[in-house]
Amino acid sequence: MPLSAPRDSTIAVIGDGFGSLMVYSTAVYLGFRPDEVTIYGTNELAIGTYQQFAYNLGQTVLRSESESHFLPADWPTFAELDAWSRRDPSYLFRSIRRKYNPGVPDILAEATAVQRELGWNDNRYPARVGWVQRVLDPVPHFVLYDDDANFIGRAKHVMAAVGHGPLSFPPVLAKAKQDPAFEDRIAQAYEPKQYAAGGRYVVVGAGIASVNEWANALDVGASVVSLLRNPAPEEQDLNTPRCFFEALGIDAFQAQPLEQRLKFLGSILKGTTPTRRAWVSRIERGMREGRFAQVLGEIDQIEPGPAGLRIHISSKYGADPGWLDVTGVVAGTGFNKSMLTIPLYRRLVDTYGLPVDDGRIVMRTNCGIPGLDTPRSRFCVMGILANTVVPHGDTIAGLKYIARRFVADAARAEGLVKRRFVSRLRMQLALASACSRSIRSARVEEQLA
Amino acid sequence: MCATALGRIHTRVAVLVGPALLATVLSILTGNPGWIVTIGIYLLMGTVLDIAFYPLVIKWQPPWLTFVLGVGEFVILYVLVKSLAPGSEQPGFGPWAPVVLYWISWAIAVSTRIVLFPLLSLSWIENGGEFRTVDWSILPEAEPLPLLAAVPADQAEQPLVRQLSSSGNVPPEARPPLSGVFNRP
Repeated sequence: MPLSAPRDSTIAVIGDGFGSLMVYSTAVYLGFRPDEVTIYGTNELAIGTYQQFAYNLGQTVLRSESESHFLPADWPTFAELDAWSRRDPSYLFRSIRRKYNPGVPDILAEATAVQRELGWNDNRYPARVGWVQRVLDPVPHFVLYDDDANFIGRAKHVMAAVGHGPLSFPPVLAKAKQDPAFEDRIAQAYEPKQYAAGGRYVVVGAGIASVNEWANALDVGASVVSLLRNPAPEEQDLNTPRCFFEALGIDAFQAQPLEQRLKFLGSILKGTTPTRRAWVSRIERGMREGRFAQVLGEIDQIEPGPAGLRIHISSKYGADPGWLDVTGVVAGTGFNKSMLTIPLYRRLVDTYGLPVDDGRIVMRTNCGIPGLDTPRSRFCVMGILANTVVPHGDTIAGLKYIARRFVADAARAEGLVKRRFVSRLRMQLALASACSRSIRSARVEEQLA
Repeated sequence: MCATALGRIHTRVAVLVGPALLATVLSILTGNPGWIVTIGIYLLMGTVLDIAFYPLVIKWQPPWLTFVLGVGEFVILYVLVKSLAPGSEQPGFGPWAPVVLYWISWAIAVSTRIVLFPLLSLSWIENGGEFRTVDWSILPEAEPLPLLAAVPADQAEQPLVRQLSSSGNVPPEARPPLSGVFNRP
């Protein structure tokens, strides 16, 4: 049962997704009592938001690798848990060759098990944080209010883990979607949707969400035109180069001035198309059957048409494809990355005069918000909004990286007596055991690599 | 893992603690120092490779490479042990002893690295194999800042800019050109 009344806590997490579970499990692992951490959000499950997106996307396996899991420490990894749970060593061999990706059911099963075992929901206050007030005297802390300005708690340290901004559409599609005549024929990859057999669809973008949509549409017997804005997306299995997941890369990244970091992020976030065995075979089949084509260009006009939509595509890389009659358009263009699209941050920027550059709050190298964050009372940000500091901030590994350091800061500020090694080992093994039981009953998904 | 050179050395020393203890016990039991000396040679050889070779050729180390490196290190260590012949003058360290010791040590080292280190240090993997405090890479106090934090909005109105402005009434006095004060030899 979630909390029924506001309370004071050492750590507050604004948001109830994966990031909140990372902060919570790390805090308990290091020695904070569960009731010293309060989660703020309305979801009963930390997987709620992700589960909906994964379902809408038709996602079956994650792009993350074996280490991207929800246990506080890095052992056992997902591949080891899968191998143990299903008595199948092939997961280990895949992991050794870096060809293992955890299945969505495994991720959901593990996160749910960790949440249940550690009492995440028992320490959740079911309200959205709408406003945070900084108080410096006599003890630095934060006062939290909901969207209706009701008091919902106080905390010494705050982690803002509010997730992505709203879904992003190219301007022409965004405008057309406002028109009721087109609204239901234009969708984002992360929105619920259904493809019709024999339908003709344009999928905008070259990232993993778009590739998923190609496969989903081809599977039901539809035709797909993949509309790419860039001529040559990088072929790379993870959006962020591997060494940027660890200190070697993060040190180098953080040593750059903000403009350089934004430029680098612009290059790695532009969309990549990883080659996956299952996707390639489905797309090749679609090409053989004349149901898949790729076009370089951008949609610049939309009208009603006999198939539902008539769209005009112009291209600066060759002859314009011109007008096409299509059933629908799907934008795999991700999320709006501006912090200002999130009301809580916008209010903080307005009130505290926080520095903003290119839609992002200029954060400190410890993911702190200048002006609000102090060593004795931290205010930290995680997720995509923190990737100017930690380039993979929006991945499970990145959330874990930030959560660990934030909790370690809080532990130092509070003079926490850390949990002993034997106790940590016992906790980790108990969690691994619970996860293994959950994974055993989860559906097995085909590996794509 | 993208190990740093320091991380490789931290890890190398830490993973050989278990094998060193095992070799010490074996040396005491057999009365032959060859066991512990072999681990010492292994440590020195590994440290040299960690400093002078691996950082040059390996940036990101996939898991399968661990076994390949293990085989390579075995060959080098075997040659070194045969050349230096530790403990060969006494019984209790036969020709197969270094081979068996190496592979048992390697198995202990790999298990330690996979299981124990992530539990001992939450950030060991993230820190490229270094045993650091769980902390940020660059503390805010050490953040590189531009020399000029911000240009004022009314930059054209700054006193020096106004003073240097060509629109002033008093023409400036000419001074020698920048390189004119030095005579070429």
